[in-house]
Amino acid sequence: MGARPRPPEVPCVRSPAPLQDVVGIRRVARSGGPENLIRPVSRRTFLAAGAALGAALTGCGRPTASPAGSAPLRIGAIPDQDPEVLQRLYGTVAEAVSTGLDLEVGYAPVTDYAAAVSLFRTGDLDLVWFGGLTGVQARLQTPGAVPVAQRDIDRAFTSVFVVHAATGVAPSSDLTALAPLRFTYGSETSTSGRLMPAWFLREAGVDPQGFPGGPGFSGSHDATLALVASGSYQAGALNAQVWRARSEEGAVDPAVVLHSETPPYADYHWLLNPRAAASTGVPDLADRLLAFFTGLPPGDPVLDLFGAGSFVPVQTSDHDRIEQIGRDLGLVS
Amino acid sequence: MTTTLDRPPAAPPRLRRDRRRWAWGLGALAVLLWSLAGAGLVTGDVLNPAGTAQFGRFASAALSPAVDAEFLGVLTRSALVTVAYAAAGTALALVLGAAGAVLVSRTTWGRRRAGWLAARGLLAVPRGLHEAVWGLLLVNVLGLDPWVGVLAIGLPYGAGTAKVFADLVDEVPRGAYRALLAAGAGRPAAALYGLLPPAAGGLLSWSFYRLECAVRSAVVLGMVGAGGLGYQLALSFASLRWEQVWSAVYALAALCLVADVAGRAVRRRLAAPPSSTRRDPLLTTAVAGTVLLVGWSVWYLALSPASLVAGRTAEQLAYVLRAAWPPATDGGLLRTVGALAVDTVQMSVIAIAVALLGAVLLAGPAARPARSSAGRRIAGALLRGGLLLLRAVPPPVWALVLLFVLLPGVLPGALALGVYTLGVLGRLAAEATEELDPRPRAALTALGARPVAAWLYGVAPRAAGPVLAYALYRWEVAIRDTVLVGLLGAGGLGALLASELATFDWAAVTTVLAAVVVLTWLVDLVSDRARAALR
Repeated sequence: MGARPRPPEVPCVRSPAPLQDVVGIRRVARSGGPENLIRPVSRRTFLAAGAALGAALTGCGRPTASPAGSAPLRIGAIPDQDPEVLQRLYGTVAEAVSTGLDLEVGYAPVTDYAAAVSLFRTGDLDLVWFGGLTGVQARLQTPGAVPVAQRDIDRAFTSVFVVHAATGVAPSSDLTALAPLRFTYGSETSTSGRLMPAWFLREAGVDPQGFPGGPGFSGSHDATLALVASGSYQAGALNAQVWRARSEEGAVDPAVVLHSETPPYADYHWLLNPRAAASTGVPDLADRLLAFFTGLPPGDPVLDLFGAGSFVPVQTSDHDRIEQIGRDLGLVS
Repeated sequence: MTTTLDRPPAAPPRLRRDRRRWAWGLGALAVLLWSLAGAGLVTGDVLNPAGTAQFGRFASAALSPAVDAEFLGVLTRSALVTVAYAAAGTALALVLGAAGAVLVSRTTWGRRRAGWLAARGLLAVPRGLHEAVWGLLLVNVLGLDPWVGVLAIGLPYGAGTAKVFADLVDEVPRGAYRALLAAGAGRPAAALYGLLPPAAGGLLSWSFYRLECAVRSAVVLGMVGAGGLGYQLALSFASLRWEQVWSAVYALAALCLVADVAGRAVRRRLAAPPSSTRRDPLLTTAVAGTVLLVGWSVWYLALSPASLVAGRTAEQLAYVLRAAWPPATDGGLLRTVGALAVDTVQMSVIAIAVALLGAVLLAGPAARPARSSAGRRIAGALLRGGLLLLRAVPPPVWALVLLFVLLPGVLPGALALGVYTLGVLGRLAAEATEELDPRPRAALTALGARPVAAWLYGVAPRAAGPVLAYALYRWEVAIRDTVLVGLLGAGGLGALLASELATFDWAAVTTVLAAVVVLTWLVDLVSDRARAALR
């Protein structure tokens, strides 16, 4: 067809080009002339189209397409703490859930808080480990989503404020001392790295956006620690669990000192997509997941991975306060 | 020798004091000073010497990358994903570009200038947004589908490709085309047989160049979630595992090197084809290999056209569009957008100034000279390797590590972009130096000039034009990259976009995106005029 056009026509391109167009002539000469280029290209372009079409037609087993009843349960997590360990070890969790529920389980990697929420809404993720705020966002965008379980420590989770030693700010519960410092949060929609610290700052009469030069967003709890250690930011807020873990490892730079710890609030939880029961063909999926998580014996590798003593039930209303605060701070719309 | 003599002598650059150039030069200087003042360099402290230990941790990890077998296995598998996205994305860009070129070429529109301008303006929208922005937007519509990564590369690249293809086709000599028309051929047939064949070399050359760029884009996409090397890099980066970050950077540098070397070989061959009329085996192999690679990528990523037209896609698209329209227009947001647009411009100006300065200093030593000592060759190779690493470390990583030693503000992001752009511009400048006529310098040396003087009078005046043109072109790219750096935390419009995306304020997202597109378009315009003044 078009790929093999009547060849005699092509050579007529070689008729002398107008001499005044010097640039153009050079281009023709450099292109290697028409004969040895255009025909191979077009033929191979057709080959490419053929190959692409062939690959497309064979289907290549995309998981999303299966209608109902047999699709695997797709789990994911916000990239919060030790994302590289979590994401690379999530095979453990997927396997444990798979054995526990006798269900095919797939793990989908996510690097971005907002992307996890969007993927939950689009139905690409069935069961996601969300933070307090991201969980609320996901629930509001996906009507019918239900929280399944949380860790024992998530009922009363806390954040810590840290300062650089050179600031001379002494540990105290008075947050107003932080107001004149260059200050960084963690991720934009992190509950423990942004939402709750901002809230408690505001409660103490400090404008959470009013730090000199505006607050920074380091992107992760570890980055917050490193930036405060460097002194570029003089103070910051992060997840207390990360702070303790890093302190125990001895990985915290001595220049970073604890200023204060926030009062407790409810944080991370597993959220189940309302469409999951139908797609996996397990009508009582939420109950079975709750039974699985709460039934994990102490010392189970999954509990270790999450740094938890046990998983416990959770209600939607547990995060009402987070939702309210999110609305107040303009992070939930 | 004879070939050199036979060649008609190239017109010597005319020495003229062009007022327009003076105006542009002074304008550029003023903008640079304004940007530096905006970054606080004039008024206050910007350095944070206490952070050198943190920076040192990053730098010293370069010598001890993570090499455990498990992690290397992870990286190998990830590299395959990155290559697949790059190849499939480029293929899509070429298809879109070929179709788009028809829409925006002067040949199509003839004298209907308004239609031509409107079509060109339409292209500015996909081109004005960074691949990562496309990725973040597409995730909301397509979810985890591999099309996200492919479209995120294919759409902006396709728009750029359409513009270049249209220009190439428009610049080809018209004789054959007119002859075909006069002989009664229809316009499509005349264009197909009269314009396409002579433009084919340029089209192929550009395609291979884009394939090289797509590898780096695929990594950035990974950093926002599309998988592959960038994803592994982002994970390790979040926990500051610098050893792993460096392993990923080295893997990326190796990929870039392969793409650069292969792409360069093909482009060189296209620029100077062997004289025989037979089909060139190297080009045939390259094209066939690339086509196979694209086929494999489509299979490996399990791309299926079905998901593009699935009901869910339409549903999600409707959801996002409903939320995103009309754009937010409240005064507070518009004022913020205005202020951050200024920051963004200042960041890009500083970045390009830093990159240009570095490129001018390094172009000479990094160029491959025709004849030189072994020591000089090794130094040059090391320098080129260094430039490769500069562009292999993604700008967001540079932004964080520079934030250790600089106080927060516009500067860390600007320097991060500057360092990254230096990696690209340094190489372009070195190549421009290599391609210069070696005779003026040789003549000066033969007359007894010292190397520095020979370079200053024999090389610099003739390299200045192309290098400045490259710098202006990179400025257009830098303004888009500024959004990327901001997206991952370094201020400007990108930071605002990240925050609106994180809180799902779609109306505000639309406003910010519109601002980004307009800003990119303005920078394109200014850069285009400045390049015209250089010619």
